[in-house]
Amino acid sequence: MNPYLAGWRLGFLRTIRSPGDMSVRIGFFAIILVVMTALWTAAVDANGGSLQGYTRTSLLWYVFAAQTAVLGVRPRSVEEIGDEIGSGTVAVQMLRPVSVVGLRMSIDMGEACARLIASFTVGALITWLFVGAPPSLPALGLAAPAVVLGCAANIASCHAFGGIAFWLLDAKASWFFFQKLVFLPGGMLIPLELLPRPLELISFALPFATMAYVPGRIASGHPDPLLLLWQLGWLVALLAMAGAVFAAGERRLQVMGG
Amino acid sequence: MIAIEARELRKTFPVRRGEPVEAVAGISFAVEAGERLAYIGPNGAGKSTSIKMLTGILHPTSGDAAVLGIVPWKKRRELAARIGTLFGQRSQLWYQLTPRQTFGLLGRIYRIPADEERRRLARLGELLDATQLFDQPVRGLSLGQRMRCELVASMLHAPEVLFLDEPTIGLDLVAKARFRDLIVRINEEQGTTILLTSHDVSDIEQVARRVIVINHGRLIYDDRVSVMRRALLGTKMLDVRFEQPPASVEVEGARLVKLSGAGAKLVVDTDRRPIRSVLDDLLDRYDVVDISVADPPLEEIVSHIYARPV
Amino acid sequence: MTAVAATLRTAVANGLANRNSFWFQVSLMVANDITWIIFWVLFFHQVGNLRGWDAHDVIVLFSILLTTAGVALGLCANSRKIGQLSADGALDETLTLPVPPLAHLLSTRVDAANTGDLLLGPVVFLLAGNPSPERAAMFLFGVVAGSVVLIGFLVACGSLTLFVGGRGEQADLGFNAILIFASYPLDLFGGATKMLLFTAVPAAFVTGVPARLVRNFDTPEVLLMVAVAALFALIGWGTFHLGLRHYSSGSIWIR
Repeated sequence: MNPYLAGWRLGFLRTIRSPGDMSVRIGFFAIILVVMTALWTAAVDANGGSLQGYTRTSLLWYVFAAQTAVLGVRPRSVEEIGDEIGSGTVAVQMLRPVSVVGLRMSIDMGEACARLIASFTVGALITWLFVGAPPSLPALGLAAPAVVLGCAANIASCHAFGGIAFWLLDAKASWFFFQKLVFLPGGMLIPLELLPRPLELISFALPFATMAYVPGRIASGHPDPLLLLWQLGWLVALLAMAGAVFAAGERRLQVMGG
Repeated sequence: MIAIEARELRKTFPVRRGEPVEAVAGISFAVEAGERLAYIGPNGAGKSTSIKMLTGILHPTSGDAAVLGIVPWKKRRELAARIGTLFGQRSQLWYQLTPRQTFGLLGRIYRIPADEERRRLARLGELLDATQLFDQPVRGLSLGQRMRCELVASMLHAPEVLFLDEPTIGLDLVAKARFRDLIVRINEEQGTTILLTSHDVSDIEQVARRVIVINHGRLIYDDRVSVMRRALLGTKMLDVRFEQPPASVEVEGARLVKLSGAGAKLVVDTDRRPIRSVLDDLLDRYDVVDISVADPPLEEIVSHIYARPV
Repeated sequence: MTAVAATLRTAVANGLANRNSFWFQVSLMVANDITWIIFWVLFFHQVGNLRGWDAHDVIVLFSILLTTAGVALGLCANSRKIGQLSADGALDETLTLPVPPLAHLLSTRVDAANTGDLLLGPVVFLLAGNPSPERAAMFLFGVVAGSVVLIGFLVACGSLTLFVGGRGEQADLGFNAILIFASYPLDLFGGATKMLLFTAVPAAFVTGVPARLVRNFDTPEVLLMVAVAALFALIGWGTFHLGLRHYSSGSIWIR
């Protein structure tokens, strides 16, 4: 079997087999949805029923999809990559005849898919219960692959960021900043259209918007295939970046020692 | 005076799926003040569980115990002030600080008057050859050095009983031997009752005078170490060196285990024939240059005990 | 009491031992907190007013949350770890000492990152909270009482591990729940949710009621806070001590 597929399968099965962990994450997700519903309902009501074109319903389906995409990624992933580089675990992994970063990302993607299946279904049910049907069922359907792509882009950039540890020996700082970049210019906390214009434009120029904003936008009733293309474009670029960072880092390890 | 007493101690752990596990299945024994006792058994035998009941950490499912006359799980804090503990896999020392800073905190916790604390620290530092380590951050100490400081920490409040749970784990041979020697010194100088758990048989040979063997939660042996050797395996090991390599070595009552060049190893069944007559025979019939008589290794004795039906 | 105070002092010394690491973590936390403040500013920039709350009000709420979390998660860092410590058999070292176990556990670890919250919270209040003596007094009172509620709640959640086993997952959920709800204005929530926040998941007493008290001093509400704090202290203390009887130390392989 293709080693990357095997890695994906490993990540997937491993996650399916820890129901305790899964239920905590789903509980966490449910709490976020409750709070977000309360927040944005009040926000939309205070503004005559619509904010930059988002109604209460479309806004909450946005939140659902954006949060699902981000919660698929294991938290502290960047930090773990940094720790494993710093501790020399990666050096050992380099002895295997596969791409270290490729294998890692496959495993992470497997885990993400397992998580996403649970979060997407449960989250959609809860959101439906709170605010009713999505603005467009086809849009919800298209949001599913968008969520997966957004998650994949997230994982790829975690590796690009975490790879800084090859040079800095500690990726703790990068995890923090990275997470914030996904939260704000990524559109997880607030739809980009609601940001002041200059910030909105900057956010659209950055890759983080493909990780949360795009799935959210699609789910809120805008099944625009161009959005998926945008995600795909950034995904390829981020994969290349992650590959390049790890290749450079591995060369450095070989030259400088662990 | 009895320092530790256990009566039909039992501890059962509930398990999510399946039968509850009985870790300790009715253990009874008594330890005199000032004794050095080794409490040994294979992994999972119930050693640590027993110790934890005697120190008040765990509540037994049934049974009784008293340490220094106090029921451990009922008056845990009162007992804690009078006993010391050293768990091999856990540290009492604060990692980023110096041992002395930990000792200062322990002084407050155990309410040791300042001058007495100073005096004891000086004495323990000397006794355990650790004074030079007191002011170095713990993170920079080797495991052996750290364990000596842990021992100081455990003894600082002059406990009457010291419980040690696998204290030599992870130490190299030299450090282990040294550590065992220190425990004996503490017992001899301060009169502290020592209860040491281990699955390392050398801990018994060098530290303990009495050994209790526990397996599958039950006590299967309780006697002095010397008796254990003699009673359980009526054998002696002979290590012989001959003038010339012999063609063969045949002595009644002895079995040849190894013959290499001019040396031979024999096992004597002392139940069948006393060692004295075997030696006489050997010296009469062969040109013996050197001979030594030894007890079988304790390992063998203990394995023998573990294998006995419970 | 001296033993507990000495333990806390040692824990602080241990946490500060590596100065660079300490300040690094503090600054990360501060950066993290500032992001949230930016979020609220941007949010209100778009939304305007939210059921009587504006950016300024929410930032005061946030300063209370930061300080309270700083005490509960920074100074008494083990409050959130009781579940994990129980599952790992790490209560042993506390139980072999002649000290009150819960007090010792709560004073024996200081978390550098969350101490950053403790430092930033009052600063944010001073800058954005229109600090008058009365408001400052209510801020302080709210933080102290709120910390007791939060710690009591977290300890109770963690102690459940002693009864039902597991690795403290319920504690994590409780922890996330109370902190998330406490980050948002109470008036956003209605009906059943609001009821929940005044009872089982007392987020209302961690930030909501203290924020109200900072706006308007109100004797009945002060007394309510004291009563609720005492109640959760008792609940936390009680569940933990009852749970100790079921403590199985390092025998997790059995579970």
